[in-house]
Amino acid sequence: MTRGLSMPGGRSLLVVLLACAAPALGQYDYHRPVEAAPSEEDIGGGYVTPAVQRPPPRAQWREAADVAVLAAALSLGAWLVLKRRSRNGLVALTIGCLAYFGFYRQGCVCPIGAIQNVTVALVDPHYAVSYFVVAIFFLPLLFAVLFGRAFCGGVCPLGAIQELVVLRPLQVPRRVDKGLGWLRWVYLALAIWFAALPAVSRDFVICRFDPFVGFFRFAGPLHMHLIGGGLLVLGLFVGRPYCRYVCPYGALLSLLSRISWRAVSVTPDKELDCGLCAEGCPYGAIEGLRAVRSSCVSCARCFDYCPRHRVHSPERSAASKVS
Amino acid sequence: MNEKPTRRDVLGHAVRGAALMGMGGVAAYVSRRAGPEGAWRIDVERCVNSRHGAVGVAVCDKCATTCVLPLSAVRAVNDHAKCGRCYICPAYFEITSAIDERGLPSQKLCPRDAIRRTPIGEVDPRDPANNYYEYTIDEKLCNGCGKCVMGCKEPAGLSSIRLEVRYDLCVRCNRCAIAVACPDEAYERRPVQT
Repeated sequence: MTRGLSMPGGRSLLVVLLACAAPALGQYDYHRPVEAAPSEEDIGGGYVTPAVQRPPPRAQWREAADVAVLAAALSLGAWLVLKRRSRNGLVALTIGCLAYFGFYRQGCVCPIGAIQNVTVALVDPHYAVSYFVVAIFFLPLLFAVLFGRAFCGGVCPLGAIQELVVLRPLQVPRRVDKGLGWLRWVYLALAIWFAALPAVSRDFVICRFDPFVGFFRFAGPLHMHLIGGGLLVLGLFVGRPYCRYVCPYGALLSLLSRISWRAVSVTPDKELDCGLCAEGCPYGAIEGLRAVRSSCVSCARCFDYCPRHRVHSPERSAASKVS
Repeated sequence: MNEKPTRRDVLGHAVRGAALMGMGGVAAYVSRRAGPEGAWRIDVERCVNSRHGAVGVAVCDKCATTCVLPLSAVRAVNDHAKCGRCYICPAYFEITSAIDERGLPSQKLCPRDAIRRTPIGEVDPRDPANNYYEYTIDEKLCNGCGKCVMGCKEPAGLSSIRLEVRYDLCVRCNRCAIAVACPDEAYERRPVQT
């Protein structure tokens, strides 16, 4: 079926190959056997040219679904912390978001890295940013203005991985804590500076030094794993070191959460002045028995330490009735 | 309960409103050129492995070596409509290697043996050269090293093979390691063309 039609060449090719001295033969001395692709008729026998295998891009509805999941998780987080005051619920949300945004979506796109995309879109007239990225960047900021740092507490996979390793948190002296907190602004300024450079020298430092994305992908350069592992070990004793002292997006969120409409209040009605909440907060965010809006990451731990909460919370009283 | 909003409340609302409007303004400004999707793509006209005229140069394997994934998201793709279906394919065989007893080059070009060579129809055993062969690239083995792309390039071949970013594999890093490493700036973030 395939023989007989135009096939000018296998033999002559061999002659060429054999005639040339093998070591000196570069592939460009080789003469290609055909001048054009054979058509289906040339090949005959009912041959059908296979289609080029091309997996479709990630469907737009899935991109939109990411934004919807982010919005839903932020709402759920805000509700769990501000209304339900449920630490257990928030831990469940944290694990869910770590699984989805961390391991399933492999840490990309995240609002932290989106700082750079938005910066480039602001300074470079040729750079088009996806509107999903814009949504992912602004949603947590919007929630910060309304409900405080709901993103940090329950949604951010980088925060989640640190939240889950807090073992024996030490209270960082307040002055040290405040001082180190400025590092976030330095990092933010550096990230914006590197992202705003002209295209050839542009660099996305936040992504390059992302500590945990290597874990989410089970791959990545060695320095990522070293930084991530180091931060996790440090995180056993200092609560969320990346969030508090490095994260440039955390800097933006803490600024906006200062003006938030609703915020975590440890003891809304009657307080005991026992200070257990302040001791329980691994992030040093409770001063004078009040949650400091800019440093509170909405983790709901303080509720768990509050004796009043243990008595009055619906889930606690249900548990105590059983026991 | 005091029903009348205090000055503090009003001020708070004003500041929040201003912040939201500011954010909305920045979001609108940034979105003015926003597309539905920005995926990484390889411009075959710029990539040294597929660019016409770039012959006798070293193969660039940055796509295979720099991607953050364990196996790069880039794959070689054989456009069957352009493929010559040669008996001795310059992308399948290492055509400078010694000729074996079958009269074919003894070595394959692909370091991962990801190209499959299947004869189309019956092969006359006395004249196997006078037949067409289909070359398919195994997506699971290929890592986008670009050797076959360079091998198939005109004038040696018909330039039917090119490198493509697999949208289902690419995690679309903000800072794509391949794009940073690409010496030809062929790796770009562009709206997806389907």
